[in-house]
Amino acid sequence: MSKEYTVTYTAENTYENWVDDAFWQFLIIPEENETQDLVSIDFTNSIHAINQFSINGYGFNTIRLHTRKKFKEISFKATFKIIKSFQDNTRTPSTPSMEEYSRLASTTDFKVDFEKYLRETRLTSIPNSKTGLFEFIPSLSIYENLLALNNWTYIYLQYTAGVTDVNTTLDEIIDKKHGVCQDFTHLFCAISKLNGIPARYVSGYLNHESGFFGDSQMHAWAETYIPSLGWVGFDPTNNIVADHNHIKVSHGKDYDDCSPLKGVIYTQGSNKTSHSVSVVSQQKAAQQ
Amino acid sequence: MTNIKNQIFSSYQKNPDLYDEIYDDEGKVKAVYQKLFDIYGGHSIQDYVNLNSKAKSSFFNQGITFQVYGEDNVQEKIFPFDLFPRIIDYDEWEIIEKGSIQRSKALNLFLWDIYHDKNILRENIVPLELITSSVNYLDQMNGIDPPGGIYNHISGTDIIKHKDGKYYVLEDNIRCPSGVSYVICNRTALKRALFGVFNHYKTHTVTNYAENLLDLLESVKPKGVDIPNCVVITPGMYNSAFYEHSYLAKTMGVELVEGRDLFVENDFVYMKTIQGPEKVDVIYRRIDDSFLDPLEFRPDSALGVPGLFSAYKKGNVTLANAPGTGVADDKAVYTYMPEIIRYYLGEEPILNNVHTYHCSRPSELEYVLDNIKDLVIKPVDEAGGYGISIGDSLSKEEIEKVRKQIKECPRKYVAQPIMSLSVHPTYIDKSESFEQRHVDLRTFTILGEDKQFVLKGGLTRVALKKGNLIVNSSQGGGSKDTWVLKK
Amino acid sequence: MLARVANNLFWMGRYIERSEHIARYMNVNYFSSLDAPNQLSQDRQFVLRSMLFMVGEPEKDNNIILKEEDILYKIGLDPNFEFSILNNVKQARENANSARDLISTELYEAINKFYHFVLNYPREIFVKSGLYDFTTNISEMSAILRGKIRGTLLHDSIYAIILMGVNIERATQVTRMINAKYNDALLTHGDNNVLFSKSAEWATLLKCAESYDMMRRIYKKTPTSISTLEFLILNPNCPRSVMNSLNQVYRHVKILNPKKRYDKNSTTFLIGRVRAEYQYKYIEEIEQDIKSLIENILKSLNDISNKINEEFFNY
Repeated sequence: MSKEYTVTYTAENTYENWVDDAFWQFLIIPEENETQDLVSIDFTNSIHAINQFSINGYGFNTIRLHTRKKFKEISFKATFKIIKSFQDNTRTPSTPSMEEYSRLASTTDFKVDFEKYLRETRLTSIPNSKTGLFEFIPSLSIYENLLALNNWTYIYLQYTAGVTDVNTTLDEIIDKKHGVCQDFTHLFCAISKLNGIPARYVSGYLNHESGFFGDSQMHAWAETYIPSLGWVGFDPTNNIVADHNHIKVSHGKDYDDCSPLKGVIYTQGSNKTSHSVSVVSQQKAAQQ
Repeated sequence: MTNIKNQIFSSYQKNPDLYDEIYDDEGKVKAVYQKLFDIYGGHSIQDYVNLNSKAKSSFFNQGITFQVYGEDNVQEKIFPFDLFPRIIDYDEWEIIEKGSIQRSKALNLFLWDIYHDKNILRENIVPLELITSSVNYLDQMNGIDPPGGIYNHISGTDIIKHKDGKYYVLEDNIRCPSGVSYVICNRTALKRALFGVFNHYKTHTVTNYAENLLDLLESVKPKGVDIPNCVVITPGMYNSAFYEHSYLAKTMGVELVEGRDLFVENDFVYMKTIQGPEKVDVIYRRIDDSFLDPLEFRPDSALGVPGLFSAYKKGNVTLANAPGTGVADDKAVYTYMPEIIRYYLGEEPILNNVHTYHCSRPSELEYVLDNIKDLVIKPVDEAGGYGISIGDSLSKEEIEKVRKQIKECPRKYVAQPIMSLSVHPTYIDKSESFEQRHVDLRTFTILGEDKQFVLKGGLTRVALKKGNLIVNSSQGGGSKDTWVLKK
Repeated sequence: MLARVANNLFWMGRYIERSEHIARYMNVNYFSSLDAPNQLSQDRQFVLRSMLFMVGEPEKDNNIILKEEDILYKIGLDPNFEFSILNNVKQARENANSARDLISTELYEAINKFYHFVLNYPREIFVKSGLYDFTTNISEMSAILRGKIRGTLLHDSIYAIILMGVNIERATQVTRMINAKYNDALLTHGDNNVLFSKSAEWATLLKCAESYDMMRRIYKKTPTSISTLEFLILNPNCPRSVMNSLNQVYRHVKILNPKKRYDKNSTTFLIGRVRAEYQYKYIEEIEQDIKSLIENILKSLNDISNKINEEFFNY
């Protein structure tokens, strides 16, 4: 079984003064992997700048624009069609116990291979005074522990839009106990890493039709590395394991590696940006 | 005659605790310096004062200067230049040259390894944390194969001679080592002022650097390019090394560009010329990693080129040195150089490393904290001589302050025994006479797939303040012409 | 050649030329006024106002008494006055700096010396007794620079760009001088056509443009308004005439754009058109309305400069 999605991403930027020269890089194209196929891409902008398809430093697909036309307003619209296969997450897979996991994780090879996703970053570091928030239970399997962490994060933080931004650190989030999907994800990743489990930040789209948390923006969740399973997605904002409702775009150490829109704009004065995302599905039988 | 001879060196005071480059232990002038000593001794002080001021104004008029920003004005200064050259005998030079190449090769293999299979980390020869906690380690470089397998195309190796008469490496500079233009300018200035001395010595030329550099840049061209278009990229004319950037561009006959002269389209790099866009294939970059590409690194960089890193990752343009090389010239990595050389080359290091204590290791930290006054404390990630504390020159309070700093972040510091840099007679304006001053030597090594070249000369830097051990120009250092004698 | 660097070289040429003309205007006006035949022309205030007018900073208030030392300092060495000679030379050097890899060491060294000469000229000496020495040195050093430009650079596009800057600026500055002296002549003899035509200001103007001797060779008479303007605007053999400068600009733009294709939007086309306009003008046509003529020339030169900017430097 699979689902076909149409994802629409729009962004509008307005500037106080004329912009003479501008670059944008969009990291919004769904990746191709075992569970998702990208069927089509359509990308347009209001000033008719030419699309350049490229990759970023981590190899994810990007769309770049460069214009030297003067403008004060620009809007972008991307439409993707994706086929996503169903995943069955109802059974708890058998995974190593924490003890076994620790043994494996203590080898140099493991540390070298996963160092990037074990490293603390600006957005995934927890001050020493706040590390005891959530304890892993040695007798449970790694998967069960991560499910518990997912649940704990979901309960610990209150989903509140507009109170944090992309620079808010965990120090503040832990105190205020609120945030949006990226804050949930950063907290989940940080605690996972503290317990020696490699975790990465995932940016993508969420199908809201089942009433999930998240607003009409890009979504974020986490992936952790579990031997025998590989990278497994957890969505602490919704307390679920990532499934066919999650359309992945990119992953990285934290938000900074996955920022959907980067721009280099030559202008003075202030600017306003707004984004919106919509995900629409049509269920259909897998075509053999 | 004897009278005049005595005049210029008569007040030269030899400190027996220091290694003097021109006098031996018995106070006699070393054979190789004898002729030079005679010639210089033949000048009266007045002659010398005149020559010196002529050499200075030659630098000044040529605009070989740097800017000092004061409160309300900008002053132009020349890098102080000393007319008394340093001589390195060929036998000694051979060791330096071989040692410099050995280090460059080992560092290059090390860089390839840590951005690919990471075997040296897996085998615990260099600790993983040392690499990945370095601000200069670029995750984005993982898996990229730079053309020819070369990362550190240009290396600057800082070498000193200790009391024991042996050469020690203090530092490897493999980001954007500067100073090579001064090697060439010093030679030109000395030739203009005292051309006669060259008749008595067979000295290697230093003017072949640019052609070797261009040769190298062309050899690391991207795949599929026939005749590569090479450029030098500079942060701009207000950068303290701008003279060097323009000098290298001019002598290589390539364009000197700024970030704003380049743009990337469909992952190829172009420069904006009066005839329209022109493709660029190889960039000798003199801007730091973090400024290269605002889309990939520092978003506020106005010096870089948006999209440059993708073009590099796709192999459409070559950057020299490669991004991410800075991780290997971290002062903490330096301390593993003997192991790195043995691991990759299966050779013993030719040049000595100064013994280093890692404050990140508890046992060594303890030693360092107890012996600060006998040590030099260095932050691991600062260049240009900043943040260095020399133990025996610190007051009690200062030692306490340093101790506190180290305790706060041990990983940030390494400590080394206080090395006694050799001294060389140096003309001091103020006293109008020659005095002992500490010197080091920076060699410039070019590394290609089938090419190794060390500029036969290098930059001898002089700490002009009496007793000072820090020779960096940013800390008031000067320089000398350096002669490597032919066999 | 990089478009940005070409722009800098163009302006390097302009600033070198500009500083020279300002220096010469100061020199000639000051010293010829000392024994000028006309009382007003001898007046210090009159000369100082003329200098300010020429550099584009006219003093509008007639009641203000200008202080000689202040005005000389302002135009010569004031770092805070945008149009001072010091700032012009500084700009020339800044522009040369950024193109240092393209120009010869000899040219750079000469510009650098030039800059340090101006920078280090003592203010006190300049305003009290150094005017002649300072301005003469500026003229001579500019001549050295022109020699280095001609003698040490490849005569390729780099050279062409610099000379386009030099010649556009020369035409502009000569026109500005004409404008200033026309204004002076009006102030002294505005009410009398005959006296206006024979004013001593015309000889001063020719000296400001280093063209007095050559003009006498051709006309063999005391310069009048008509003969002076004919010589300085229309005579293609006078090295400082507007016509000659336009011819030079045309010659050099051809190096940058050798295409023979008809393109009415190109710089070459525009310069050719302006050049043709003045090539076939005669002086009697324009003597009725010198003011409009000056305005038109300045406008045409400005249009050409903008066109060059758009076609070659727009990076």
